[in-house]
Amino acid sequence: MQKRTVTITNRLGLHARAAAKLVKLAASHKSRVTLARAEALQHTADAKSIFSVLLLAATQNTLIEITVEGPDEELAMDALCRLIAEKFGEE
Amino acid sequence: MRGSIRKLPEERLEGIGVCPGVAIGNAFLVDDPRGRVVRVFLPKERLESEILRFRDAARAAQAQVKLDIERVRAALGSDHAYILEAHLLMLQDRTLGRQIENFIRVNHANAEWAVRDVTQHLLEVYGQIEDEYLRERGSDIEDVAHRIIKILSGKEQRSLNELADNSILVADDLLPSVTADLDPRKVLGFVTGIGGWTSHTAIIARSVNIPAVVGVRGITERVRSGETVIIDGSAGTVILNPSPETLIFYTEERQRQRQQALYDIEERELPAITLDNHEIRLRANIELIEEIDTYQRFNAAGVGLYRSEFLYSQAESGQPTEEEQYEAYKFLAGMVGDEGAVIRTFDLGGDKLHLEGFKAERNPAIGMRAIRLSLSVEPVFRTQVRAILRAAALGDLKILLPFVTNVDEVRRAKKIIADVKRQLASEGIPHKETTQLGVMIEVPAAVMMAEALARESDFFSLGTNDLIQSLLAVDRGNENVSALFDPMHPAVLRAIKMVSDAAAKMQIPVNVCGEMASNPVQVILLLGLGLRDLSMTPSAIPAIRRLVRSIKLADAEALAAKALSLDTPAAVRHHVQTHLNDLGSELLAAAHAG
Repeated sequence: MQKRTVTITNRLGLHARAAAKLVKLAASHKSRVTLARAEALQHTADAKSIFSVLLLAATQNTLIEITVEGPDEELAMDALCRLIAEKFGEE
Repeated sequence: MRGSIRKLPEERLEGIGVCPGVAIGNAFLVDDPRGRVVRVFLPKERLESEILRFRDAARAAQAQVKLDIERVRAALGSDHAYILEAHLLMLQDRTLGRQIENFIRVNHANAEWAVRDVTQHLLEVYGQIEDEYLRERGSDIEDVAHRIIKILSGKEQRSLNELADNSILVADDLLPSVTADLDPRKVLGFVTGIGGWTSHTAIIARSVNIPAVVGVRGITERVRSGETVIIDGSAGTVILNPSPETLIFYTEERQRQRQQALYDIEERELPAITLDNHEIRLRANIELIEEIDTYQRFNAAGVGLYRSEFLYSQAESGQPTEEEQYEAYKFLAGMVGDEGAVIRTFDLGGDKLHLEGFKAERNPAIGMRAIRLSLSVEPVFRTQVRAILRAAALGDLKILLPFVTNVDEVRRAKKIIADVKRQLASEGIPHKETTQLGVMIEVPAAVMMAEALARESDFFSLGTNDLIQSLLAVDRGNENVSALFDPMHPAVLRAIKMVSDAAAKMQIPVNVCGEMASNPVQVILLLGLGLRDLSMTPSAIPAIRRLVRSIKLADAEALAAKALSLDTPAAVRHHVQTHLNDLGSELLAAAHAG
């Protein structure tokens, strides 16, 4: 199992377009991916469900903990962190 | 969820009765008309097939979105397709699918309703997100929900076409598109959660004469399709889970009303003539052109009051143009024919005109309204006068000025009207050269100046509602004092007498257009005070016609003469009550029916 905490840095946060990219990327891996706001770790979001991700309401500068568990967990974690670091290709 | 076995206590909800009558029927819930979602309670054995129906629709919706994505990619580039990608992901989202399927199973709901309910719940959750940009994504969810619902309803119509007999339509609001294809034989009544006297539902209800109550807050959450509902359109009451006693009471009431309606039809052609042969003119008050049907149904002798300001509630741009007004007035002129119609010019407050720099008034009822506003914002008044004069070329239309307090206001209005006529003539536009101009008598100053006003005008219209309010200094909307609003107050009777006498002396006609004209007991007094021309909400005409036909004018005059000499409202009321007996039992029955 992999755990990493990252900051959402793009200006608009995890809005529909960013969320869609993230969900698609998560869904393209076999591992189970969950997200949680760093200050409320008990509320986890399924990264493969767009409703779930949108409900995180992660705005710019929100700290998100990513948990990946499964056969391709390392690969998935790297890809997800890259997407977030690259601001979902938006800016 | 409401249990079907447990008997629930009777519940009475209050709204605004917009079309009188009792209806007893089965609730039929119509949801947001944009999706036209109807709630259906499915038997257990149909639930699995309903879930499959939902899955098929969700798959079809996905296929649609994929096609859309291809199209947008080709036309605008892949960057622009991302919102649609989000929609696709929503449609593929297993959380959503599971929730909807679960809802169908637990609530025995049809798929359309389940989709709407679950997405509505999601929307509420999103509504709480603080970030405005993220919160706005709610519209994406709505979009997706509409897409599925549209596919569902296209495949299998669970629409109003499937309406069962004896239905009472229940909705937050009914849009024109929904009511347009209703089968009136199957609908017994309407109940809506929002709306008022002039909302679309109200107009439709009155035009097809179906009992309706609007503005019943939260009604759609409290009633389920198929449940027995009683509506009393006269009292504005909706009764859920009626007790057996209530059911019997209203069944008898409905029977009585049906019998009454038959009498009304039989009697509608009968002249409104008193036993001692005096003819009384019974005219209709109309708010909206669409209501003109009711005018014919009750055989009114013309329109005594057309409240033109309601054009504002329908104007597309917020302000009715000359052409929009012309069309409405033209229609009115054509419908009433020789009986004629009185158009009261806009009785609006300054807030309605969206005037620049217009400050909200602390007391708009005695603020910049009606003729005051018309004279201070002349272009609006001129436009209205132009439209009326043009339409008057096609039928008998008269102009009525509301809220006049000063003879000078009438003179100024006449000048403007004359000027507009000159202008129309110089433009070669067909119009009526000699229109009659009336003055609304609805403030004490106008009562005091009645003779002088009569010199400047062709007729009076007595607006008793406003007159009683200002004469007795009572705000009807204020619960603390509303009981003091009393048409039987001797001061009111004396004021009416002054107006009636002034009009008789100056030989101009006077019409009564306030609520007094639709109350049988008060009508006796009005006739006794010398009034012969009454204008009222059309559904009141049958009862007043019956009353007129059952009394002698001489008796009414004696009754009124005595009432004028009394010193308190209570004394007037006592006097009238005790003498109703002398006037004959038929009259009493007619009076009590109102």
